[in-house]
Formats: sequence, C-alpha cells, structure tokens
Amino acid sequence: MPVLEASDIVKEYQEGRNRTRILHGVSLTVEPGEVVALEGPSGSGKTTLLQILGCILSPTEGRVKVNGEPADLSDASALAELRKRHIGFVFQQFNLFPSLNALENVQYALQVKGHRGRGLKEEARRWIEAMELSDRAHYLPRDLSGGQKQRVAIARAMAGNPAALLADEPTANLDSQVGTQVLQLFRSLATDHGRGVLIVTHDPKVRDIADRVLRIRDGLIHA
Amino acid sequence: MVDLALRMLLHDRLRFFITVSGVAFAVNLILSQVGLFFGLISNSSVIVRNIPAEIWVTSKNTPNVDFAQAFPEAYVQRVRSIPGVQRADNLIVTFLNIHLPNGATEGTVTYAVEDFQAWNLPWKLESGDIRDLRRGNFMFTDASAVRRIGAFQAGDYREVSGVRMRYAGRSLGATSFTTTPVSFMDYRLAQRMNSNLLEGNTTYILVKAAPGANIQALKAEIQRRLPHNDVYTRNEWAKRSDDYWIKNTGIGLNAYLTVALGILVGVVIVAQTLYTSTMEHIKEFGTVKAIGGSNADIYRLLGRQALVAAVLGFAIGALLTLAMEPGVAAIGLRLILPAPVWFSVALGTVFMCLLSAGVSFRKVANIDPGLVFRS
Repeated sequence: MPVLEASDIVKEYQEGRNRTRILHGVSLTVEPGEVVALEGPSGSGKTTLLQILGCILSPTEGRVKVNGEPADLSDASALAELRKRHIGFVFQQFNLFPSLNALENVQYALQVKGHRGRGLKEEARRWIEAMELSDRAHYLPRDLSGGQKQRVAIARAMAGNPAALLADEPTANLDSQVGTQVLQLFRSLATDHGRGVLIVTHDPKVRDIADRVLRIRDGLIHA
Repeated sequence: MVDLALRMLLHDRLRFFITVSGVAFAVNLILSQVGLFFGLISNSSVIVRNIPAEIWVTSKNTPNVDFAQAFPEAYVQRVRSIPGVQRADNLIVTFLNIHLPNGATEGTVTYAVEDFQAWNLPWKLESGDIRDLRRGNFMFTDASAVRRIGAFQAGDYREVSGVRMRYAGRSLGATSFTTTPVSFMDYRLAQRMNSNLLEGNTTYILVKAAPGANIQALKAEIQRRLPHNDVYTRNEWAKRSDDYWIKNTGIGLNAYLTVALGILVGVVIVAQTLYTSTMEHIKEFGTVKAIGGSNADIYRLLGRQALVAAVLGFAIGALLTLAMEPGVAAIGLRLILPAPVWFSVALGTVFMCLLSAGVSFRKVANIDPGLVFRS
C-alpha cells in the first residue's frame, strides 16, 4: 500500500479576475521504503504539490490518500489529524522552535502528536541519538550548525513514526558535504525504517539516493 | 512536558518584562485607587459604624452625619416609651472652633452624649479616661488631628469657641471624611457652647433595640411617632453618609475613571505585547500547525502566556500596593482593601489578560501552515 497517493490533482489559484492553474491533473505514489525526488524549475508547482500531499493545502480537484486513508480535503481539522498521525515535514528553513533545545524540539512535536509520559522523552532521545546529536541535545538552535539544525528537524519529523516524510529543499541551506550526509540520512530512514520519502529539490545530488526521480514542469509530471 | 508557551515568553525577556510591568502597573493603579476610595469613604461613616445604635433618628433630610441639624431633645422621651427600645439617648454633633497657639483657628466636629461608655465613644483611646468628660470643661480630640491642629496632649489647654478647655486625652481612629478633627465632650457642655442652636435641642437620637426586637418594625414605629424626623437603621445611615460624599465630591467618579483607566492600560499593554509577540512567532505557530497542532493547541499556548503575565503582574502589582501603605499612612490617608477586592482584582486581571490574548487568537486562527514553506 502506498504511503502517499495522489490522483488527478488540479490546483487553481484566483489572482484578481483570473484563475491560474498550477497543477494540471497530477498523479503520483510513494511506496514504503522508497525515496522519490521531485525536481522542477521555480514556479513549476512542486512545493504546491508537496503541500497538497502533506495535507496542508486542499486541491481544486483530485484525491489524496495518506497511508491508505483518504484525506477529507474539505475538513481542516481532519487534515491536521492526518498530518499528526502519518506525516513528518522537513523544511528548507529548518523551522525549529528557537526557545527550545534540540531534544525539546523533538519532545514538543511528540506532545503535539498526543504522546505523554516517560515514553515521550525516551523516543525523543532515541531520535536525537539516531541523528548523532547526543552531545548537542541541550543546545538551542542558535548554537547549532546548519547541518545539525537539519538533523534536529529530521529527528522531529520522524518522532511519532510517521509513514511518510516530506522534505522541501532540505539541502538548500547546507554546504555540499553536510548536504550529502543529510541525504544519506533520508536514504537510511527509507531503507532501514521503511518510510516513504518525498524530497522536493533543485539539488542534483538527491538523484544519487532516490529510487525514482520525477520532473514537474508547467504543472505536469514527466517521469 | 515541554512548556513552549513559557519558553517563548522567557526567550524574549525584555518583552516579557514589559508585559508583566504593564499588568503590574494596571493592578497597582486599580488597587491603590480602590483602596484610597474605601479608605476615604470609611472616614465618612466610621463613627456611625462604631456606635452600637441599631437605629438613628435624624432631623428631616440630614445629608450626612457631620452636617447635623437640631430638633427638640425632648423627642427622645417618645422614643424611650416605645416597646422594643432598650435605650435611647440624644447625640449632639456640632462644629466648634479651636483657637490654636499659632493664632490660627481650626474647626472641629464635636460628638457629645451624656454617657460615652454606653455608646462606645470613642471606641479606642490613646490616652486619658473618658469619664473625665463629666467633670467640667474637658474634651478629647482624635490623635489624627495633629496634622491639622499641631501637637497636643492630655493636660494641654485650648480655647474652643470662646471657652477655655482642657484636653482629658486623645482618641484613635475617629475621623471625618473632610479630615476635620473629631472631638468629644459632655452633652450639656456642647449645648452651652453652641447655645444659639442647641439650647433644648439635640441633633440625633441613638436607639439601642431590646434583644430580639424586630429592627424594621421598631424603625417604622419610631417614624410613626416622629413624623417630622427621619429614621434610619445603622447601615442605611452609614450608607447615606457615604453616598453623600461619593455623589457630591466626584470621588466616586474619580475612582471609577481611574479603575477604567487601569483596565484600559492593562488591556492595551498586554494586547499589544502579546500581539507583537504572536506576529514575531507566527512562523513557529505555523510550524505547530504543520506538524499536526490545531488552533486549540495554539489558543492554549497563547492563553497560558496571558495567564503567566496575569499571575506575575498581579503578584507584583499587589506587592507594590502593600509597599505603598506606609507612605499613604504618612500623609494621613488609608488604603482599605477588603478580601473581596483582592479577589475581584485578581480575577479581573486574569480576565483582562485573556481578553487581550483574544486579539492574537483571531490572528492565529487564520494562520496558513503553508507559510512554513516560504523563506
């Protein structure tokens, strides 16, 4: 069963009196254990598609399934619930909580996902260790390097064991060497933990770890 | 558990300090104004509330206890004859002038009865024996009068309305709304010293009811027998005296306006700082939503921040108010803050801060979690 499944997705925006179509009937799937790279020039609709697959944005037409569950695209709270249970996000800008240290960033994500008690702290620590950040667990984001921040963001995204991991330009703010290390992490999360990973990127290095590369141009996917 | 709300607040300490200071300032403003209001108003009826008379008979339309008007003292006999009256005595309240050693003259509002002990007057003595008032030209003046008439003590002589009087002692806590010194002297002496008005007259009749007597029925019967006087229960008379000053001096309006100003200042400061903080953390709130948090999660976060500001602000504001007490007392005023006032202001502070957070609620309700994808 695919962890992410999008069928005939159309997305239009109203701009003044005109309607602009960003996506023209896009379909794609991401299987467990698979890394899919989505490439395309700026304005091609790749981030819009990522948001739709991540249940953040509702499409104008089409259907989305997350881990086999159809997304009720008209119900914001149902979409939030799907995000909470099945999806982890990694952002280009990291978007860590600056007032929380690395470990607490992961803990807080688990709290939002409804985890409580001792297990919460243990799971957070496990992911911090998995990201080789044990010695930085109590550092605030401002005291971490870009690569370390992104690894905290990945630990936060993985906390709660979501079926799908969606990453938006995860290497854009990292130097080449650190970017490669981060991509290897995504690869191992897919291979070792069975997660379905979708990476939206301009970075050609992503091809090295991806099982499939999809190119999106003018709102259409070209394999 | 990770307390993101508190961590966000403490992350920007200057803003947190400004928020809490705003609340503390508002609380201090409200408590000090309400305390001063109660302190001033209590002066206007403190004597009424300390005399153990359940019923007061006054001349018609007397506005407050200090502005007494005369009526025949023989009316007291009618009151004494009513079943259910345990004791009824005349009370004279009159203005006399004290000539001071420095040549100035100061007014004093003088209370005069025949039996001071029976009416608990004055209820607290600093020095002297109240029975001395029956022995001649003696008087007691309240110690608080020092600010108006200068230092005095038992044994000192003063000329009062042309009569050489000797202080038999000093009372404590007997005050008037206008801060005019309060004195006590023998009933007949007071009549003689203001004989034009008081010869054969009194200004009040104090009534003590027999145990088990129905006060309202007794009041109605006294009113029936003295149709040209007014009759009040103690609480009614105290309230009439208080209301006179509240309505005729603007002190009530002033207190209401200051409290409203305090609330406004508090709401504006808290709302402004919380809103600015919300705007600065908008991407963090967007992240909370993106990782599956709901609007309710963010409302709880903002509500908790408002609550922390309210609790800390109230505590600091309350401590500031308590610290003001000695300074206020040094200028002859009092802060009276009964428990219900503390409770109401604490509750009001929480409400004020949550109301202020409401402005931010509206903002976060419309956060698009997609903003976390924008650089």
